[in-house]
Amino acid sequence: MAADKSEVLQGTLDLMILKTLQALGPLHGFGIARRIEQLSEDVLTLNEGTVYTSLLRLQQKSWIASEWGVSENNRRARFYSITQRGLNQLAVETENWERIAAVIGRVLALEAKA
Amino acid sequence: MFDRALTFLAKIKGLVGQRRADVAFDEEMNTHLEMLAEKYQREGMTAREAIRAAKRQFGNTTLLRQRQRESRTTMFFSKVWRDVRYGTRQLARTPVFTIVCVLTLALGVGANTAVFSVMHAVLRKMLPVQDSSHVFYLHTTGYPDGASQTGDSDTSFAYPMYQALREQHGVLEVMTFIPMSSSGKTSIRVGTVPEEAAGDMVGGNYFSGLGVGTELGRGFVQKDEDDHTSVVVISDSFWETHYQRSHDVIGKTLYIKSVPFTIVGVARKGFEGTEGRLPLDFWIPLQSRPEFNAWGNPAEYGMYLTTPNKWCMKLMVRTAPGISREEGLARAQGIFARVAYAGVAPKHAGDETYKLSFNEAKQFDSQDDSFARSLKVLMMMVGLVLLIAMSNVVMLLMARNASRQREFSVRIALGAGRGEMARQLLTESLLLVALGGAAAWIFALGATRALGSWAHIQSNLQPDGAVAWFTLGVLLLLALVFGLAPLRRAMSSGPEMVLRSSSTVSHTSSQKVRAGNAVIVTQIAMCLVLLVGAGLLLGTLRNLLKTPLGQKPEGLLVFGVQPQHAHTKEESIAFFVALQQRLRTIPGVQSVSMAGNRPGSGWSDNNAGVLVDGHKPKGVEPEQANYRHNTVGPDYFRTMGVQVIRGRDFSDADSSTAPKVLIVNETFAKKYLGTLNAVGHVLSNSKGLEPNLIVGVVKDHKYTSITEEATPMIWDVFTQGDAVSQLNIEMRVPNDPMAMLPTVRKMIAQIDPDLPLMEPMTQSAVFEQSISQQALFARLAGCFGVLAVVLIATGLYGTLAYRVSRRSAEIGVRMALGAQRLQVVWMVLRGSLSLTAIGVALGIPLAMAAGMQLESSLYGMKALDIASYMFAILGVAFVALVASAVPAGRAASVDPIKALRLE
Repeated sequence: MAADKSEVLQGTLDLMILKTLQALGPLHGFGIARRIEQLSEDVLTLNEGTVYTSLLRLQQKSWIASEWGVSENNRRARFYSITQRGLNQLAVETENWERIAAVIGRVLALEAKA
Repeated sequence: MFDRALTFLAKIKGLVGQRRADVAFDEEMNTHLEMLAEKYQREGMTAREAIRAAKRQFGNTTLLRQRQRESRTTMFFSKVWRDVRYGTRQLARTPVFTIVCVLTLALGVGANTAVFSVMHAVLRKMLPVQDSSHVFYLHTTGYPDGASQTGDSDTSFAYPMYQALREQHGVLEVMTFIPMSSSGKTSIRVGTVPEEAAGDMVGGNYFSGLGVGTELGRGFVQKDEDDHTSVVVISDSFWETHYQRSHDVIGKTLYIKSVPFTIVGVARKGFEGTEGRLPLDFWIPLQSRPEFNAWGNPAEYGMYLTTPNKWCMKLMVRTAPGISREEGLARAQGIFARVAYAGVAPKHAGDETYKLSFNEAKQFDSQDDSFARSLKVLMMMVGLVLLIAMSNVVMLLMARNASRQREFSVRIALGAGRGEMARQLLTESLLLVALGGAAAWIFALGATRALGSWAHIQSNLQPDGAVAWFTLGVLLLLALVFGLAPLRRAMSSGPEMVLRSSSTVSHTSSQKVRAGNAVIVTQIAMCLVLLVGAGLLLGTLRNLLKTPLGQKPEGLLVFGVQPQHAHTKEESIAFFVALQQRLRTIPGVQSVSMAGNRPGSGWSDNNAGVLVDGHKPKGVEPEQANYRHNTVGPDYFRTMGVQVIRGRDFSDADSSTAPKVLIVNETFAKKYLGTLNAVGHVLSNSKGLEPNLIVGVVKDHKYTSITEEATPMIWDVFTQGDAVSQLNIEMRVPNDPMAMLPTVRKMIAQIDPDLPLMEPMTQSAVFEQSISQQALFARLAGCFGVLAVVLIATGLYGTLAYRVSRRSAEIGVRMALGAQRLQVVWMVLRGSLSLTAIGVALGIPLAMAAGMQLESSLYGMKALDIASYMFAILGVAFVALVASAVPAGRAASVDPIKALRLE
């Protein structure tokens, strides 16, 4: 594990998964892991197993649903999809994230000036 | 918040199908790993490298699986389950401790619940009627001269009173109910077999006024009362026992005293009438037929509806909304003053004014005091037992957990969390209390029923849940406090405690020893009180059983007969004369007679006013000459086995046309004639009328009960006395009296198929029943005494054994330094004996105070009965000795070398 890679913040993974499912539609765990890997461009690193902990958590909150299906290479796999509640939550979380990011950004910029 | 709820629901759902979820997740993980490995292979790794890289990238699968499982469902239950299993193992490892604790709890809580439930039912429970706080029983302090009443003088009123109260719309609503006979029971027939059942004649508004609905059909309406319709409402339990809750019961015919009644309704379940102890089977509207006169009285002396001075109706009132109890009572009192003298001489100036009172609509109205008092004494005993039991459980728990100090320290040293330890200790305590509680409930169910039947309360008695919960709650609290106390010590001393030598930390602090001593002394004092009480009551029972009855009740069968079709005195006499003749013909029957009041049942006619040969009876004012009276049949004294000391028994020749004759007892002859030679003298009433010739003098014997003092008594023969509606037949047979019953039933059925035998039993049983209350009371007290002794023994043994085991090092040192075994034994014994002595010294004054309370329940005993006290003191001392003998022996057998090496 490279030292310069950031640890995935607790909670951010949930948001990333929700967004991924919203953008790409139903996906299995492997596909989600690939998508995050691809998007993060190796800046973020995670044990892929962690995705499943997150998936379970989201499922318990009814933000995503799952059903068994067949993967592109003919394997039985569990496909996850975002629910209406999940979509609402994604909107709220996205807004939160942007606000916090903006605040943090401003704070950091302020310090840079001083 | 909503998300949390959803998560929680999902976790609960996760409880089921855990295994399936595990399998599914494994499959999902494997697929992922395979796909990842394939990806790496495509990127140029060898197959083995790819698999290893995939595993590395994926992370620890075992950990993940575990995490997944934990978050999939709630761990709370499995943790609790683990604690329960561990606790069960701990309790199973010390079975004696567990059994003693559970039994102690069961007996303490169970007995407490049972006694309290019965007390609650007797003293507190309200009738199951609507808005019972506005419903009252009407009582009076008396009735005017010239009124005839039924014996229940404080609850009996005449018809004019009922009528007048009925007009008080807007203030009061009055409901009336009249027993069918003095026992409350009468003959009925459902199919072909006649039997006795309890019922009341009631007013048309009885059900509506009380606010009691029906399970089926209807209650009564005013028209039923006005037209005296032949309809009947049955109770829910009668419906169940006689009609199996069949819904086509409405419209069926129920024969009451041979008269067909149509069933129109079934009363609401739980309502069993307003007669207190006696649950009713049926209700009929007020009837006007002569055979349905109030209380089953002969109609010859007037029907209750048309005789204004016949006080026989029981009344209840419901105050109208907005009318207070006082306002209602004032109104009723005003009416009472106006109508009480209907049909009798008007009130003289200076006569006592009879006062009405409203009694709350409790299930058991006007309970006799002796019963309530017995219950209170019992309650005190149970309270003492409960105290002993609780202190025992607490001491046992403390001793046990103190000896587990080492276990706690080890567990803390090994990293057990404080929360975990506390939860686990709590689980153990809870488990113990739960087991005890379950056993207690089972015990309470049986005990409540036993107590109920002792009190002759057949109404639906149940152990009181609230009481059981309260007692259990207290115990739970104690269990928690004392269960956790050792934990606090272990925590504060920390894990290093285990590393120290046990003897340096384990010698108990003097403060703790003193606390333990105080508990033991208190227990011994309470035990002494219980034993003295038990001794006094058992002595009373022994005296009751030893009391000579002056007759031979063994081999006597007794049953009541109410002739159905005898409407006049002559018909009734003819019926019983014929009956006696018929019964005499049964093979094996030695003699047959009858009695108006069944001896031993407590009933008696009590009269006053007699002249001997026209003069004052030996200086006593005629009105002051009190005597008991019974109406009997020919051969009565021969049948009962009573010795006739002068003159003769009654015979068939004493018919209604023969000269009127009487028999008196010794006491009567001595007190009112001054001689046993009373035969030939003539008794008349205080006006000198109705002369009767004394033809016999019999030995004094028990009449109403075993405890009665010898009282002047007169017997007359039913053929010459007042009209009777019921007589008890007494039959002397050679073998088991009850074996004769079928033959008798068959014979009676030939005479009248509608005639049931009322309360058939052996005459011995009648006397036994008359002291059943004292007997059960004494036996229960004895049980509580034994229970207390057992508890004291276990408590004392447990504490001493624990102390000795903690002091084994000290004892070892003492012996190594030359102490003799005898000295060691004495050291232990001295401790427990001095505690016993202090306990006894404290207990004696307490026992004396308690004995004073018992005084009225004793028979042939004084409250300060030396034997009972000696028995109690010796008992306590003996128990203390036995309980300390084993620990003392163990102390003496301490091997000094071993004891020292162990440290």
